[in-house]
Amino acid sequence: MDQKFEDLTITKDGQLLLAKAEKDQVETVWERHRAQQPQCGYCDLGLSCRICVMGPCRVDPFGEGPQKGVCGADADIIVARNLCRMVAAGAASHSDHGRDLVEVLEGVSEGTAPGYQIRNVEKLQRVAAEYGIDTAGKDPLPLAGELAQAMMEDYGMRQKQIRLVQRAPQKRRDLWKKIGITPRGIDRETSEMMHRTHMGVDNGWQSLLLQALRNSLSDGWGGSMIATEVSDILFGIPAPKPTTVNVGVLKENQVNIIVHGHNPVVSEMILKACESPELLALAKEKGAEGINLAGVCCTGNELLMRHGVPMAGNHLMTELVLSTGAVEMMLVDYQCIMPSLGTVAACYHTKMISTSDKARFPGMEHREFHPETAEKMAVELVKEAVLNFANRGRTYIPVEPVNAIGGFSIETIVGALGGTPEPLLDAIKAGKIRGAAGIVGCNNPKIKHDYGHVTLTKRLIENDVLVVDTGCVSVANAKAGFKVPEAIEMAGPGLKEVCGSLGIPPVLHLGSCVDNVRILVLVSALADALGVDISDLPVAGSAPEWYSEKAVTIGTYFVASGVTTVLGPMPPIAGSMNVVKLLTQGLKDVVGATFAVEPDPEKAALIIRRHIEGKRKALGLSALDV
Amino acid sequence: MKKVMVHPERCVGCMQCMIACATAHSKTRQLLTALMETPLPKSRVHVGAGLYNEGFPNRCRHCEPAPCMAACLANAIFRDPEKETVLINPDKCINCASCAMACPYGVIRFHEDATAPVGKTVAVKCDNCDQRQMEGLIPACVEVCKSNALTFEESTDAMKRKTDEVARSVSRGAEEISLSPAFSLLTAAKRAQLSL
Repeated sequence: MDQKFEDLTITKDGQLLLAKAEKDQVETVWERHRAQQPQCGYCDLGLSCRICVMGPCRVDPFGEGPQKGVCGADADIIVARNLCRMVAAGAASHSDHGRDLVEVLEGVSEGTAPGYQIRNVEKLQRVAAEYGIDTAGKDPLPLAGELAQAMMEDYGMRQKQIRLVQRAPQKRRDLWKKIGITPRGIDRETSEMMHRTHMGVDNGWQSLLLQALRNSLSDGWGGSMIATEVSDILFGIPAPKPTTVNVGVLKENQVNIIVHGHNPVVSEMILKACESPELLALAKEKGAEGINLAGVCCTGNELLMRHGVPMAGNHLMTELVLSTGAVEMMLVDYQCIMPSLGTVAACYHTKMISTSDKARFPGMEHREFHPETAEKMAVELVKEAVLNFANRGRTYIPVEPVNAIGGFSIETIVGALGGTPEPLLDAIKAGKIRGAAGIVGCNNPKIKHDYGHVTLTKRLIENDVLVVDTGCVSVANAKAGFKVPEAIEMAGPGLKEVCGSLGIPPVLHLGSCVDNVRILVLVSALADALGVDISDLPVAGSAPEWYSEKAVTIGTYFVASGVTTVLGPMPPIAGSMNVVKLLTQGLKDVVGATFAVEPDPEKAALIIRRHIEGKRKALGLSALDV
Repeated sequence: MKKVMVHPERCVGCMQCMIACATAHSKTRQLLTALMETPLPKSRVHVGAGLYNEGFPNRCRHCEPAPCMAACLANAIFRDPEKETVLINPDKCINCASCAMACPYGVIRFHEDATAPVGKTVAVKCDNCDQRQMEGLIPACVEVCKSNALTFEESTDAMKRKTDEVARSVSRGAEEISLSPAFSLLTAAKRAQLSL
């Protein structure tokens, strides 16, 4: 294998398909990243400001050129404002995804969303009760309508606080109240963040960053949490299921359809259409043995969690998957969809379909999905994919898929433990499991593809730290073979014993990136069971290869919720040492957790293990020197 | 005499110098209108990416003796004795690329230019903004550089400053002096990412 491809990705399928893409003259994200070098230092430092048109402004990091923007904002204010706007954009993205699900929930209640249904009435009742709705004797459909209305209120300004905030431990809620960051409304906090960062509003870099914490909480305990809970109500609570991963999940002799994006509203309907007997018969008639649906990115994770649908790859694999020439159709909704995909697909027979009224892409055919017509549209599109099978040229599917188990919701984890988190706590107290880490986030061409995720996960499990993952990390870890029960052989003796007795892998897949809220629910349950705050727990978060604004927001709500989080790539904040110090040290005194930045996963593993042992010591548990 | 000096350790890679250079060598010399010109103006300073993706503004050194001048059989390349600037006469240039082969720094490009006859591809490189200097302005790349990676000054001043910097760095007990803690932190993070 060409050394240059081994330098870009640790994955075999990625390396082989990079060679194929080069042969086919397909430009990839890595080439575009190379072409962007050197990237602008002002922007990388967070020292450029494009907020108003007295500017654009830059502050000279060497101290000789301009030290203030035209408005008078110094490095601290400019860096803080830029970071705050990233948090607002990330919160807006996840929360808008949640809003789309609430609309489907309302549509189901009103009978205007054929094809969708309430799959889990028990969860509907449970969540409705949390919203203070009297569920007694109510039929699911009217109850769904009431819950949808109540959730819509969470998006507005009629509430004093977002409803699901009450899921957090009392100590955490008291802390948020004391420092004034209890989120009031989902859209409200994002709007206020944008307002505050307008020229001439909030120019206290500390107060700006506090609002960023509140804004992130409005996503983590608001929009994202609603997205996950309503998805469970509409499509079912995930339960462990076998699946397969990597590009080898594509089938030579079947019609291959890939869903890409984030919202299960589209992908669930596509899955349903793929199982239709008429379309399967049509596929046979056209010479294919079946219809093979696979996912990339988070909408794939949503299907994997609930149906065991295989995953062809994560963020940096999305172009390469198309270069197999084996994909009849890729359907996208929104978020993390590279606008280059249409150009890549044009080299092959692949049909590219955009489905969301809010997301269009060059080189894609736009076929909008709405709850009223989604079921019908899905059947039409899958039929077109089947008919496209005849146009397939030579294909290249160079690897065999890897087995994995996905679909661990909090409900099923607690179920597997016998209905209570006690066994997990006992294992932590006994020191068999040192603690837990949530490894989440994206891929970024700045870090060798999947190296950060896989290396960090490996080092943590071999040192008896239980790992839960979501999003693009979950695909990396599954490809690395961490997601089968036999993977306990790679775990330390304590973790091996505990996971072995439960028959679970040492790395648990908790879902898509909105599903990071499942981690919040899990740590809240652990904290409540111990009678402590989240920040007292021997847990940590990490985003070894993050790239997106959504990841900034997730990291921020982790930290604001008390989970210390280690980032791989440096966020654009180094231009202000005040902001760096606040985020990496000062926040400890504010929310009991901080950020750390460490691109090297070997060192990040040490930081996390040291943090976990420190928390164990403070809880009076046995602690190791790391 | 003032000259353009390059201080690579201060380059943040923003490439503002390239935009300013192309604009300064356009017909209209305004960014927005320059973008609508034919031919599109091109920069004569080129920011390269180093081993760690750090920027480096690569521009003509106006060598003395200049290999490009020696290699130019058409006698299109000459030195402005007053400014010590090596210039190319676009009317005489025969687009043979001998100058580019001789140039040790790879700063000569070939394309149409606002100063050349319409439709003629010629050798183009830094002219030290001779037009701007005649108007009392400093070179465009220096004017736009916010981090002082490019300066326009007497070479004796620049050498004295550098001599003092070196002297301070070898003072007994001196700690490593960081020009900018912020930039050093970013550079360290980028190096760590790349070394994986």
